[in-house]
Amino acid sequence: MAAIIETRNLTKIYGGKVKALDDLNISIEEGEVYGLLGPNGAGKTTTINLLVTRIAPTSGTAIVNGFDIVKNSLEVRKSIGVVPQDLTTDEDLSGYENLKMVSQFYDVPAEEAKERIHKLLAMVSLDDVKNRLVRQYSGGMRKRLELIAGLVHDPKILFLDEPTLGLDVTTRTQMWKYVREIQEKLDVTIILTSHYLEEVDALANRISIIDHGKVLATGTSEELKSNLKGDIILATMKTDKDAETLMKYPGAIEAKENGPRAVRLKVQNSDEELPKIIQYISGNSLSITRLTVQKPTLDDVFLEYTGNEIRTEEPTDTRQEMMNLRRLRR
Amino acid sequence: MSGLGPLTSRELKKWYRNPVSLLTGLIQPFFWLALFGSAFSKISAFGPTLLDGAPNYITYILGGVLTIIGLFTALFSGVNLIFDRRLGVLGRFLIAPIRRSSIVFSKIFASSARILVQVGILILAALLIPNGLEFKHGFTVLDALILIAAVMLVALIFTSIFTTLAVRITRPDTIFGVINLVNLPLLFVSYAMFPPGLMAGWLSDAAKYNPVSWSAEAIRTVVINGTLTASQMHSVELWLGGLAILATVLLLMAYFVSENEIRE
Ligand SMILES: Nc1ncnc2c1ncn2[C@@H]1O[C@H](COP(=O)(O)OP(=O)(O)OP(=O)(O)O)[C@@H](O)[C@H]1O
Ligand SMILES: [Mg+2]
Repeated sequence: MAAIIETRNLTKIYGGKVKALDDLNISIEEGEVYGLLGPNGAGKTTTINLLVTRIAPTSGTAIVNGFDIVKNSLEVRKSIGVVPQDLTTDEDLSGYENLKMVSQFYDVPAEEAKERIHKLLAMVSLDDVKNRLVRQYSGGMRKRLELIAGLVHDPKILFLDEPTLGLDVTTRTQMWKYVREIQEKLDVTIILTSHYLEEVDALANRISIIDHGKVLATGTSEELKSNLKGDIILATMKTDKDAETLMKYPGAIEAKENGPRAVRLKVQNSDEELPKIIQYISGNSLSITRLTVQKPTLDDVFLEYTGNEIRTEEPTDTRQEMMNLRRLRR
Repeated sequence: MSGLGPLTSRELKKWYRNPVSLLTGLIQPFFWLALFGSAFSKISAFGPTLLDGAPNYITYILGGVLTIIGLFTALFSGVNLIFDRRLGVLGRFLIAPIRRSSIVFSKIFASSARILVQVGILILAALLIPNGLEFKHGFTVLDALILIAAVMLVALIFTSIFTTLAVRITRPDTIFGVINLVNLPLLFVSYAMFPPGLMAGWLSDAAKYNPVSWSAEAIRTVVINGTLTASQMHSVELWLGGLAILATVLLLMAYFVSENEIRE
């Protein structure tokens, strides 16, 4: 498959000082859902804004659907749909009027626009409220309207910048459903940014992790996880001394402190290493209060590359423990 | 210019759907006439010479009030652009494949349409009130065209200036400050309200260069005289010509600035 988007040393420096994007090179294939994952300020929105020609690059360029974003921005704009990070629909118009106006921007013939708008409204369950002023929409309804506002002209590429920012968990899952449906039914390449790991994991075929305006890693979620060599074993000991002894366990690739009396061991393969660790613990008469095995998650991938954790939803302690128990029993 | 149609229609929808702006727009002309008509009615005592032969002050002042209504609506034409930017709607326009200038020109056109409606209402109001507007020497189609042209040219001049300012100004309070700074000088350093004979010499001299005066005088000439003499026609041509040149230059400025400079 051919690349539908390719950036070439794309760089953006704001006001001569803030280097938001630093020689970014990414390539996105036709038909895929591509996720840009990064912490706040990583440069995700900047990347999107450059690709949709909302701002101009400081240096470098990108080819979007065969058109250069610098030299041929009008053609780029015609072939893409955008759902920006902030709201862009007009509160003083109805949902239908907003979509109608957007369709006119793209010279969609009136009949075709009408049909398409109705189809899209039905797709995101907004047909009941289409004649209400957007001012009266709930946050979730408004986000759904924003989502389809980027689609009325049947674009080849859809950019979604933080499509579920500020939504509650249920609404967010619902949005995911809509995004998947759009991708299946409308045959569009989707570029998605998010700092919710679950979101990117759930929606994207391929992911790039970016931070400080640079790509740190690219691949499918599975590839990224398996590139992280090793599993993690977390142990909490009864005394500091016991913890120190466990830190010296010879089979670990890496051993770290992980809180008071807690140890984080990285091992090649937890299934083989766990019995040996248990032997080591009883052999040295250590007292252990808790033992957990973790297969790497996207969180760990993220942590590995950015040095930051951006987990946004901490599982409650009991839930975590039950998960741990289940893992140990396997 | 693709984008101009839908954007102008949006602008007008926002206007006529807002009951407050609609109502104030309807009441304002009566307000103006009632206030000025009675506040300055004593001027009539100076006789028709001072009023250029107008039968009453309302007839004399109509050209001024029409121009001022056009001017004041035009001064606010950029405000919506600033709010569009604040509310994020501008972002949607900027990612669409439309001409950037259509964003600014939709405001210019919508303001002009509003002014046209207000002009109609004001003339009606002036005809309805007692001791109001009187066309002593008739009112021809040409007179009507001159009247509309004068108000619209003033409107285009000031909508161009104020929408262009809004392309670069991002804060509503800044543009309100600018509006407050210029509205009274534009009104009082002009022949919109008072005959030159009643103004201080230096003020009257300065007022000659104010496009608000040109429009007010042009309308006044046709309203009072009906069919114009050759010399009256010549003056009207000069005033309208001045307004047209200024409007053209400023519209061009609005076009180039909005094509190149508009951003979030
Ligand atoms: N208009 C601007 N002027 C100056 N600096 C900016 C501007 N926009 C963004 N930046 C800076 O550029 C960097 C990247 O910002 P960007 O908005 O692309 O991040 P992001 O990954 O989208 O973050 P978030 O998750 O918070 O949306 C940040 O340091 C930000 O402060
Ligand atoms: Mg962002």
